[in-house]
Amino acid sequence: MARFANGKGPFLRLSDEKNYGTTVIMRDFLIALLPLILFAWYKNGIQVFIDGNITLLESFYPLVFILTGGILSTLMEGIFYFVTDKEVRTFKALFNRLSTSYAVIPGLLLAMILPLYTPIWVLIFGCLFATIVGKMIFGGFGYNIFNPALIGYIAVAFTLMGVINAAGGALNASEVVIDAIGGATPLTTLSSSGVLTYNTLVAPYGNLWDFFIGTIPGAIAETSALACILAYAWLVFRKVIKWFVPVIYVGTVFILSWFIGLSVGQTGLWFPLYSILSGGLMFGAVFMATEPVTTPRNPLGKAVFALALGVFTVLFRFAGDFAEGVATSIVFLNIFTMPIDKWTAVIRVEGVNKKTLVKVIVLAVLIVGVAAFAIWRSSSIYHVLVDLSIMIRGAF
Amino acid sequence: MILNKATGLRIDGRKSISKTLPLHEYLNPQFVYIPLLQQNSPLKRVVEVGDSVAIGQTVALREGFGAMPIHASVSGKVTAVKKVWHSSGRMVDAIEIQNDHLNRMAESIHQEQDAQLLDKEQLVERMKQAGLSGLGGAGFPTYVKYQTKCAIDVIIINAVECEPYITCDYMLIGAYPEKLLKGLSYFMKAAGAHRGVVAFKSYNQHIREVLTPFMASYPEIELREVKDIYPAGWEKYLVEQITKKTYANLPAEAGAIVDNAATAMVFADAVEKNIPLISRVITISGEGIKNPQNFFVPIGTPVKELIQLCGGYADGLDPAKAWYIAGGPMTGRAILIDELIVNDTLGSVIVKPMPDEKLHPACLGCGKCADVCPVHLAPTEIQRAFEAKDLAAVKELNTQKCMQCGLCSYVCPSHIEISDYVARAKDFMRKGA
Repeated sequence: MARFANGKGPFLRLSDEKNYGTTVIMRDFLIALLPLILFAWYKNGIQVFIDGNITLLESFYPLVFILTGGILSTLMEGIFYFVTDKEVRTFKALFNRLSTSYAVIPGLLLAMILPLYTPIWVLIFGCLFATIVGKMIFGGFGYNIFNPALIGYIAVAFTLMGVINAAGGALNASEVVIDAIGGATPLTTLSSSGVLTYNTLVAPYGNLWDFFIGTIPGAIAETSALACILAYAWLVFRKVIKWFVPVIYVGTVFILSWFIGLSVGQTGLWFPLYSILSGGLMFGAVFMATEPVTTPRNPLGKAVFALALGVFTVLFRFAGDFAEGVATSIVFLNIFTMPIDKWTAVIRVEGVNKKTLVKVIVLAVLIVGVAAFAIWRSSSIYHVLVDLSIMIRGAF
Repeated sequence: MILNKATGLRIDGRKSISKTLPLHEYLNPQFVYIPLLQQNSPLKRVVEVGDSVAIGQTVALREGFGAMPIHASVSGKVTAVKKVWHSSGRMVDAIEIQNDHLNRMAESIHQEQDAQLLDKEQLVERMKQAGLSGLGGAGFPTYVKYQTKCAIDVIIINAVECEPYITCDYMLIGAYPEKLLKGLSYFMKAAGAHRGVVAFKSYNQHIREVLTPFMASYPEIELREVKDIYPAGWEKYLVEQITKKTYANLPAEAGAIVDNAATAMVFADAVEKNIPLISRVITISGEGIKNPQNFFVPIGTPVKELIQLCGGYADGLDPAKAWYIAGGPMTGRAILIDELIVNDTLGSVIVKPMPDEKLHPACLGCGKCADVCPVHLAPTEIQRAFEAKDLAAVKELNTQKCMQCGLCSYVCPSHIEISDYVARAKDFMRKGA
């Protein structure tokens, strides 16, 4: 007679295998950041050095800055655990804890979406908010409600943007000498001028191809749509994210921006393209709208969440004071992750029937209503309809 | 729709390890133990200690729903009523029969003069008298399915065996291919159906090969491959694939009855020779077994003897760091002491060393569990509702639809016992708060 171990079925788990598990997911996530970090180094370091505007040593600054963000948040999380948890006072326990809570990510992401000349003390402040307020006081990895990096970003943007701009802002040494840019990123131009023409919005920075490649002013690592698409392809291939989340998000912004362009007589596709290629939209869509902890879990919920993100991004971007709209809309919608998750879980399993009809209608009305409101606030629905009808008639 | 596509997952079958050795017949254990439990109903014993019994003699009765007799699987003397470990994970009373090795048959066992003359009612009655129950794992009394009032057009034989390791049906079909088709044709007659389908997994082409020579005599029967995914052997999935119809509770609503392959073969014997359900095939497999193989054994055989016939446990196996699983690795149950006996629903015993310990983080909310769920549940939401003891939410989330396939725990990257939470939520729902 032999006594065997107890256990709960199923007795086969993918997570017992070597190259499967949450740690592998997070590793793949970090790998996906590589093209963006390398591009940031190229654009803000190497290219500027080649232009002769900075020294060789200075050209490493973007890399150092981003890595500092990661190191800072790891340190802070370690200190937080050391202070608050009696069981995590040895080096080994601390290491185990940090390796399953992925402490490096909030700071790393935060550093990537800050302007290049953010003073280090501002970065420390941001990391403190991201790691401690955004993540640890909710209970650490898996329990945070808001995207930690974006909490840090918003804290910085609300309080210390002036300090950052005074220290040099987002423009690197090569960009700052171009007169046409006038010290502004594409989205700050839009927000301050309110004029929607190709010549004010795109021409100063080159053409839309430059927007796609990412050689335009902006935060350190978020300007390149190309690098984001590479990262997207990798993450989808590794099944870390759902392919449709960024597509729905960016697609919604594209369509709504197109309507807004139409309403002021800009029938060309350049305006919606400008809209999705500038600012942190691509970055947010690939890395933050898909962040597992703070977004809905079931596939329908993820789709609804992405749709709502697109609508709110347009609202905040065109009708609000903030130039960006991406960070605010994601953090805003993080609040609604739980209810969206619960509702869509019921809708998904039941299908659309008598029991779920109310939920479906409420969700649809909310999303369509906010979309209509966004267009109304930023332009005129009347003009959109007139232009659309002309285009449709023209098509036949 | 992309968000609701038919789900299922390819799982490494690990079946080849128990396919190398032929089916081993082990018909005469020293003792057999007939468990006095079927599904969740206790059985009423009708023999006393000291009685002499013959093979096929009624020793217990199932009463109430699914009432039917249970038979002795060897001839000999009833020596005791003992507690034994049962595949349900509990100890249950069992009738101990000491084998006299004389193979005395009960009078009821005799060759049927002309099996073709039996009509619908007689066939259903035969199922009941043979104590026929689903050998696939659920153990549902077969005749109850055939008493349906719905019109049945198709009988589906489930030879899919979608769980890893298990090869008992595969080996049995390989040994007696024609018996399967005979059993199916009797099932069709019993239900008045004009179409029979044998469903098997796409990689099991061997089943097609052994059945094809006999197919000409059974024009109403067709072979049907299903995808190599888990859980392709799930009743509802099979019925949907084959009839293109779905149902709420029972396959009969879609005009179909699904039976396990081994059940059909037992039925063929029951019809032609009046042999009741007294034996089955069981797979003894897993990395913890020296020579994994399949055995044809009387019901009530101690699994221990079969493991000895396999050469025992693998060298260096530490029982304290291994699982002894009754049933398949996905839906089976860990048994703590290796004193299990073979009962009607036990298709396999898997002995498997536990994997190395790994650090597992908290739930990251990736939603893989919701992605793979064949019935589109949201396991994490159910867990949340269950932990909050929110009965209304547990109900609203359709927790009762869970069929405990275990896929959510299987894919969880953080090794969370998520299917266990859903199972407990289901219990909670059944019992109420």
